[in-house]
Amino acid sequence: MGFAGIAVGAAMAGLRPICEFMTFNFSMQAIDQVINSAAKTYYMSGGLQNVPIVFRGPNGASAGVAAQHSQCFAAWYGHCPGLKVVSPWNAEDAKGLIKSAIRDNNPVVMLENELMYGVAFEFPQEAQSKDFLIPIGKAKIERQGTHITVVAHSRPVGHCVEAAAVLAKEGIECEVINMRTIRPMDIETIEASVMKTNHLVTVEGGWPQFGVGAEICARIMEGPAFNFLDAPAVRVTGTDVPMPYAKILEDNCVPQVKDIIFAIKKTLNI
Amino acid sequence: MRKMLAAVSRVLSGAAQKPASRVLVGSRNFANDATFEIKKCDLHRLEEGPPVTTVLTREDGLRYYRMMQTVRRMELKADQLYKQKIIRGFCHLCDGQEACCVGMEAGINPTDHLITAYRAHGFTFTRGLSVREILAELTGRRGGCAKGKGGSMHMYAKNFYGGNGIVGAQVVEDGDCMLS
Repeated sequence: MGFAGIAVGAAMAGLRPICEFMTFNFSMQAIDQVINSAAKTYYMSGGLQNVPIVFRGPNGASAGVAAQHSQCFAAWYGHCPGLKVVSPWNAEDAKGLIKSAIRDNNPVVMLENELMYGVAFEFPQEAQSKDFLIPIGKAKIERQGTHITVVAHSRPVGHCVEAAAVLAKEGIECEVINMRTIRPMDIETIEASVMKTNHLVTVEGGWPQFGVGAEICARIMEGPAFNFLDAPAVRVTGTDVPMPYAKILEDNCVPQVKDIIFAIKKTLNI
Repeated sequence: MRKMLAAVSRVLSGAAQKPASRVLVGSRNFANDATFEIKKCDLHRLEEGPPVTTVLTREDGLRYYRMMQTVRRMELKADQLYKQKIIRGFCHLCDGQEACCVGMEAGINPTDHLITAYRAHGFTFTRGLSVREILAELTGRRGGCAKGKGGSMHMYAKNFYGGNGIVGAQVVEDGDCMLS
């Protein structure tokens, strides 16, 4: 609350601060500053006062840190108009999105993942340039497919890619979409994909009720892609409990590769 | 063997004292209780403040010492388990700070309410839970005080409201506890 407020004030005065939360669980203490002071200000001031701030930090489940340190805030921050919310998966996403977030004149919340910090990725040549940017509000198709669309953000994207590799051996080609941005959501990419494959599974680490998957399903229903669905869309989410501490319980409370495969097969009626 | 043990014990009991005089010397050296002076508080609209002296009896002293020793050994074991990765996540220990929880417990009643931040193992023990339940909770077992679901920072007991992971959260919760 203290330093978050200082950062917001600095942003209003003309600086471009980056406010880092140790994990977004601690941002709950400061969430009044993020929402009321940062997110709503541009609208409330009639366009007069910009707040070019970036809030970043690890989000979601880590390893063995129990209930108060494992919540996913994608749905909470994605709910608020005035904020932009991004969620990188790999190293390229992390670099491009943080640069775009800092250059953006609006408050941006960047939800990283602690377990992804240590994972190494292939870094393509163009991503190594100093001015490499990823536009906020654009999703990326990580893997082309024809049978089913699987949409995820952050760490679960890796699980989806693994699940797709396993299912490819059985002849099921999954199209994996890495959302990259939660708000504003790139629903056009998802719709175009669903209109091609006719099936949809969403995967996220957060809780199911009012989550990112729920929003995707609602928007698909409201848009042209609904007529192309051959089966109800299925959400794979974290279990609807506060994160337990014991390892065996914790492993079963986050979506695993086998849960994603199960959901895909259920949707495809296999 | 017995002669050797007797010789060793005579040496250890302090530089070859004669057995007959040892008892007398013993009663001169060790009192049954100790008196402590406490600094007088400034009083505002009160006639009497808290007492300015306090007496620690031998049984109480030994009891506190035993509690502190137990907490110390429990914390050292938890440290070892944490380094072996049997305890996961966070493990905030209070070896070295046992006097805080034991001293607190000495000053309050079991019916008083207590809340603390994440360095909670010592307080959990002094509030009545067994070492077995605490270590079971740390290792994520069903026999733990929170059935393995809470872990190091989320241990609760009667009139003890945990263990809070978010820094500063216990201050506000404490205020709300007092209101009720």
